[in-house]
Amino acid sequence: MATTTNTLLLESTDLFDDSLSISNTSTCYKAGTTIGLDQTTGLTRTYVTATTQFDPFPVVKGTTNANENGKVYIANLSEDETEFITVGIGDLVIGKLYAGDFMWMPWSPKAQHVNDIEITPSVATGMNIEFMSIHNFANIYPNSADS
Amino acid sequence: MATTTATISLSSPDLLTDSLAFSTASTLTKAGNATGLTLTGGLARKKLASGHAQYTLFDGDAYANGAHKIYLKNTSTTAAEYFTIEINSEQMGKLYAGDWAFFPWEANADTNDIKIDPSADDMVLEYMIFIDE
Repeated sequence: MATTTNTLLLESTDLFDDSLSISNTSTCYKAGTTIGLDQTTGLTRTYVTATTQFDPFPVVKGTTNANENGKVYIANLSEDETEFITVGIGDLVIGKLYAGDFMWMPWSPKAQHVNDIEITPSVATGMNIEFMSIHNFANIYPNSADS
Repeated sequence: MATTTATISLSSPDLLTDSLAFSTASTLTKAGNATGLTLTGGLARKKLASGHAQYTLFDGDAYANGAHKIYLKNTSTTAAEYFTIEINSEQMGKLYAGDWAFFPWEANADTNDIKIDPSADDMVLEYMIFIDE
């Protein structure tokens, strides 16, 4: 069992009349337990030079582990405020991460090509993207073919 | 213009052989520029008392297409209790007790709703939207 903690700070001094400060820390657990997630794709940084959609975490589901659960981190490292990546799930758009934006969300892949995470860069001139999944799924492959 | 920052820190001493620790910060801005988001729905709580049926938390029809940000937290302390998060009719994942999520939302179609489905009665979700208008 591993102990992986994730903390979010949301802060603003001028969004309201009073200041805003939200802080949350949680631990990445297997579903319905207090046993830590024990697999990761690793923190990946990739330089993309095409606007072609790709799957950062290809799913090849076959067997299923007990108490499957997953977390996904994605960040757009671009410094050009007009550049974004469109993040989708199962070919449906979640939203766009503009330069410097990140996201952290739960993920429950069902089967190959069903609710894969999809990333589509807005430009082909080169963008750095970071992504990572922490999970206990049976079959998440970093290099499998996908469509 | 407001300046709102979001920071994520991730750490583990034993997920890998070596320790893992990184932190990323971003400023919440409107789509394609450096202007800070100035509107928010406020930090809110929703208790789904009975029946634990699916509930539309954010209706895609009610927001313009933009660089909205969504914050969610399952306030339960019972490990087995979760909210299933659905976006645009696709299951995103399950938010278990104490878990939080922070992600962009484009609201690019009337059908691009964010829906929650609690696994038990009387669960409370904390949520906030930062609106790009």
